Amino acid sequence: MTRARLNKILMSLVIGAAFLWLLIPFTMAVLWSLVDPSEPWTADQLLPPAMSFYRWTDMWQNSSLKPALVTSYALAPTAAVLTLCLALPTAYALGRYEFPGRELAKTLCLLPLVVPAFITAIFFSSILFQLGLAGNRFAAIVFAHAVLFLPYAIRILTVSFEQVRQDHIDAARDLGATPLARFRVAFVPALKPGISATLLIVFIQSIEEFAIAFIIGSPDVVTIPTLLYSALGQDFVRPNAAVLSLILVVPNVFLMLILERLMKSANPALSSGKG
Amino acid sequence: MTLRRAATILLLLMPGLGLILALIGAVVYIAVAQSFGLYSLMGESAFSLAFWSDTMGKKAFDKAVRYSIYVGVLSAIFSVILAYPLAIWLRKPFAGSVTIGAVLKAPLLVHGLVAAFLYINIISYNGLLNQVMQGLGIWDGPKRLQNDRNAIGVLILQTWKNMPFALLLLTGAVQAISDDVLDAARDLGAGSWARFRKVIAPLTVSGLQAAMVIIFIGALADFSFQTIAGPTNRQSLAQLMVNFKGRGDWHSAAVVGVSMMAIALIGSALLAVAARMIMRGRLK
Repeated sequence: MTRARLNKILMSLVIGAAFLWLLIPFTMAVLWSLVDPSEPWTADQLLPPAMSFYRWTDMWQNSSLKPALVTSYALAPTAAVLTLCLALPTAYALGRYEFPGRELAKTLCLLPLVVPAFITAIFFSSILFQLGLAGNRFAAIVFAHAVLFLPYAIRILTVSFEQVRQDHIDAARDLGATPLARFRVAFVPALKPGISATLLIVFIQSIEEFAIAFIIGSPDVVTIPTLLYSALGQDFVRPNAAVLSLILVVPNVFLMLILERLMKSANPALSSGKG
Repeated sequence: MTLRRAATILLLLMPGLGLILALIGAVVYIAVAQSFGLYSLMGESAFSLAFWSDTMGKKAFDKAVRYSIYVGVLSAIFSVILAYPLAIWLRKPFAGSVTIGAVLKAPLLVHGLVAAFLYINIISYNGLLNQVMQGLGIWDGPKRLQNDRNAIGVLILQTWKNMPFALLLLTGAVQAISDDVLDAARDLGAGSWARFRKVIAPLTVSGLQAAMVIIFIGALADFSFQTIAGPTNRQSLAQLMVNFKGRGDWHSAAVVGVSMMAIALIGSALLAVAARMIMRGRLK
């Protein structure tokens, strides 16, 4: 058997499997979100007997969906901007200075990714109680998200700072540019894709984050994942859970496709896997 | 390095790395301290080993430890076993390989809770799987597949979600091997199995270790897959910890949390060593 033939067979196997593990589940979710309550979708019917957007409008008007959307989409950009501000100085130090312990510092920056999220969530909430700050749920979630997603931000921005070319800085200086002008011509062009990628990745992570929002936010602050979690558990109504799943997954897929583009331009080595 | 320069670097590291160390350090410190009865949120704070002996004596704790290790280890192994051949297959680009890579990595874009919903939707009592199996005449009646006793549902979800991640790391590791090395091995008479065993396996050990350790820690500490799709007669460590905390029993929750961190550390080290031993020459 030739290699090309083998590839063809393997490819059709993978596509067949993808059909089972992606297409069918998502099609089912879309169909369930469209089931009209006038006629239930019973097991003997291939398609729902009556389809409408009733569930979507009903969820929009009569559930916590609206506040959850407002919370999630207020939380994410706030956390993203805060993370960016916190990450920039550290990334500058790691990207532009040689110093002993730099590799150790880079490794320590990954700590939030290693500690399980529920441990961070529970004992961060314990700290909030000790300090008497447990009432400020929204601010606490923003802070926790900002710190937890710092590893991504620092990593991306460090690479961006490394890519700023010293000869550009020197040339600008030789031509008499002020520090601000030097920053504008030498740093900004190299940093731009990294900054966009950072904002986007923290935005996505924050929209999706569950443990912190669940432990610290409940019961007052509801985000889309915590709403979906309760829709899957104590108040399981399948069409409603389908609506929420699609609301959570669809925008983020598009955002992540944009992110992948940005990451490629921010750091070609990162996406080719040879970093 | 002058003092001034050192001070500048330290100041620059403060808001980023400094904050990370402060938060994670405080979290770990509070967890350990609370597990010994300190920093009580209700009642007296006093150093005590009682919470450790009480919690460790509970049957639910013992079950949770074993169950979480079971899910953690098997999820890591399944994800890596599926990802390895795919990574080797995708090492050299061919017509359609980019599309295949994208399809395989698609679950990375899907939120865990959404994945859990999609899964229970398919396997539920009136779900598609039951209908198909009955339609084909394989099963006589619908079977109750959700929350199965052996956590097969959780393992399927963990593997579904983590295999693409392992694939990402392993593809990077496999693509980093240059053709020259593999050609040289071929010229020296190595067949495909020998090339895998003597060249690819040793050169990708670190990627494999990273994938296994990260997946192991994530699956060990799983909460949402377990509460949605897992067996109802036992709890995962994270679930047990959240339940203790929900009852206001912070100290027992802390014991579970600290145990989870210890198991994550020791387990990761053991998995990394095992992966290394298997991949470096002992693979027969």
